[in-house]
Amino acid sequence: MSSPALVVFKKELRDTLRDRRTLMAMIVVPLLLFPVLMIGMARFSQSRAAEVQGKVLHVAVADADGRSGLAAFLSQEPGFDVAETRDMLALPEQVRSEALDAAVIVPAGYAQALAARRPATVQLVHKTSDDFDIKRRRVEDALGEFEQRLLDERLAALGLDPAVTDPIALETTDVASSREVLGKLLGGLLPYMFILFCFTGAMYPAIDLAAGEKERGTLETLLSSPASRLQIVLGKFAVVTLTGITSAVLAAVGMYVSVRQGIEGVPPAVLAAIEQVLAPSTIALMFALLLPLSVFFAAALLMLSLYARSYKEAISVISPLMIVVIVPAMLALAPGVRLSAVTALIPILNVSLATREIIAGTAAPPHLVLVFVSLAALAALGVVACARWFSREDIVFRT
Amino acid sequence: MIDVSDLTKSFPVSRQQRRELGPGFSGNAVQAVAGVTFACRPGRVFALLGPNGAGKTTVLRMIAAMLRPDRGRISIAGVDALADPVAARRRLGFLTGSTRLYERLTAEENVRYAADLCGVPEPDYRRRRDALFAALGIDAYAGRRAGQLSTGMKQKVAIARTVIHDPEVVVFDEATSGLDIIAARAIIQLVKDCRAQGKTVLFSTHIMSEVTMLADDLAVVHRGRVLAAGPLPELLAGGRSIEDEFVRLVDAADAARPGGAA
Repeated sequence: MSSPALVVFKKELRDTLRDRRTLMAMIVVPLLLFPVLMIGMARFSQSRAAEVQGKVLHVAVADADGRSGLAAFLSQEPGFDVAETRDMLALPEQVRSEALDAAVIVPAGYAQALAARRPATVQLVHKTSDDFDIKRRRVEDALGEFEQRLLDERLAALGLDPAVTDPIALETTDVASSREVLGKLLGGLLPYMFILFCFTGAMYPAIDLAAGEKERGTLETLLSSPASRLQIVLGKFAVVTLTGITSAVLAAVGMYVSVRQGIEGVPPAVLAAIEQVLAPSTIALMFALLLPLSVFFAAALLMLSLYARSYKEAISVISPLMIVVIVPAMLALAPGVRLSAVTALIPILNVSLATREIIAGTAAPPHLVLVFVSLAALAALGVVACARWFSREDIVFRT
Repeated sequence: MIDVSDLTKSFPVSRQQRRELGPGFSGNAVQAVAGVTFACRPGRVFALLGPNGAGKTTVLRMIAAMLRPDRGRISIAGVDALADPVAARRRLGFLTGSTRLYERLTAEENVRYAADLCGVPEPDYRRRRDALFAALGIDAYAGRRAGQLSTGMKQKVAIARTVIHDPEVVVFDEATSGLDIIAARAIIQLVKDCRAQGKTVLFSTHIMSEVTMLADDLAVVHRGRVLAAGPLPELLAGGRSIEDEFVRLVDAADAARPGGAA
């Protein structure tokens, strides 16, 4: 014979695992999202970049005096198809309509400015595109080389060494480990994703287990059974918490697998650093913080779900809550927001900040303890509030 | 045995309900049940007869320890339901017309869940399950998910779930409401079987023919109060039909209210 709470838990788990909608939100989406995003987007970006990088750029050069030599210079650059023109006014429209990839205009007075050793104006007409602006950068790089050649000639005419233009040889040494650097990058993304999955993974079961049960007319049968309200809450609660945590774990698994498989185009050093971040000890520490947060989410979701009269109403009540979850998680990305004795007490934000520090390997143990204790207290408060909520007749029988 | 005395229950009124009740309503609560007293004996069927909104469901929910009365006492098979609601519910089976099954669970899993919640030992469960499934013809579809069953099949599974723990008291809240004739007959047969087995049966209805067909004892409930209660033959001693007696009691009660007949 099992405790009624365990009976409720087993039944709800079985019921939940047979719900396609929950399975999608809890298992399929978190498991596949990272691989699809990371591999898919990386491959797409690379293929688009390679396509644009390898493309021959059609560039028109309109040289008012015809003496700059720019057209001839660009013609010798690989990947450039240069056409000379006198019709300067038509060029912007030709670039806008993408008949040209870019146009370079050398206004009258160019040669005089150069001769007077003043800056000579050269105009670049381009169209900002969604191809990472590679076309503009390629033309600018070529123009930069042309400028360097002119500078070298000017310095030579003055009898100066080209090194005279570099009075300081700046050497930089970044003492941050690749893990710390990655901590800043991934540390913003990872907790955000895990917290979101914790929430969305728990959302559908919570709605189904309270509002769904109310709507289907099975709640009355359950309430007339010998299980106490507390036992019913605990059974349902455990399932909702479990689905939230499972969702976050599967998201981590999806990410780990996609990193282990290697992502084309990502330098091996970065992949190695990601692997280091995804070490079991780091993950375990992160989930130690996510567990009480999931318990709190489960409490909040179950309470709202029970309050709703129907499944539909529960969705409309709970969906906006996602913003409440996302905002503190995103606040952690703001510059200057760090884990402190104060931020350690702010739910969700504390998990985001602590996770960032854990990933970067710079977490201070007292702060982590404070985060865990505050989350555990919040979770305990959530359980008590949820149990009381289930005892309220006006909520349970709200129709 | 069910003994209730002086059951009284009010519900707080929400803003929306206050709007619906109109400007004539004042106060923060509506009284759903007031001073309800009756007793149901083993081996007899007790009917609560009343129009919709009379307070029948509230009374039954208090008996099933789902709602706590503001005042009064409830005893279920000798157990004080207010002091020990869990023990009271263990002795009770509850079936309503709106009762549904867990659609993603099989028929057997639905019944098993109820048995496990009641803590029925495995050998007892096997014995009860075999007898009930055979009597109700559930064996043929015991392994099918409830969502794939017909209304009649679902009703039989709901019946099996209600009595799988062999309760001493069975409560039916408008259990035939909204059912087709075949499904309603299964419920009526269950009521008769429970009486034959010596169980205490309490059922609420607004259908007069069910009362004459099944009830040994009757309480007429109107506006949360018991207008009359006793053995059915005694209540109909004057040769009146159940409809005539019901209308007479309700009219008299309404006429006695401040402002006259409603």
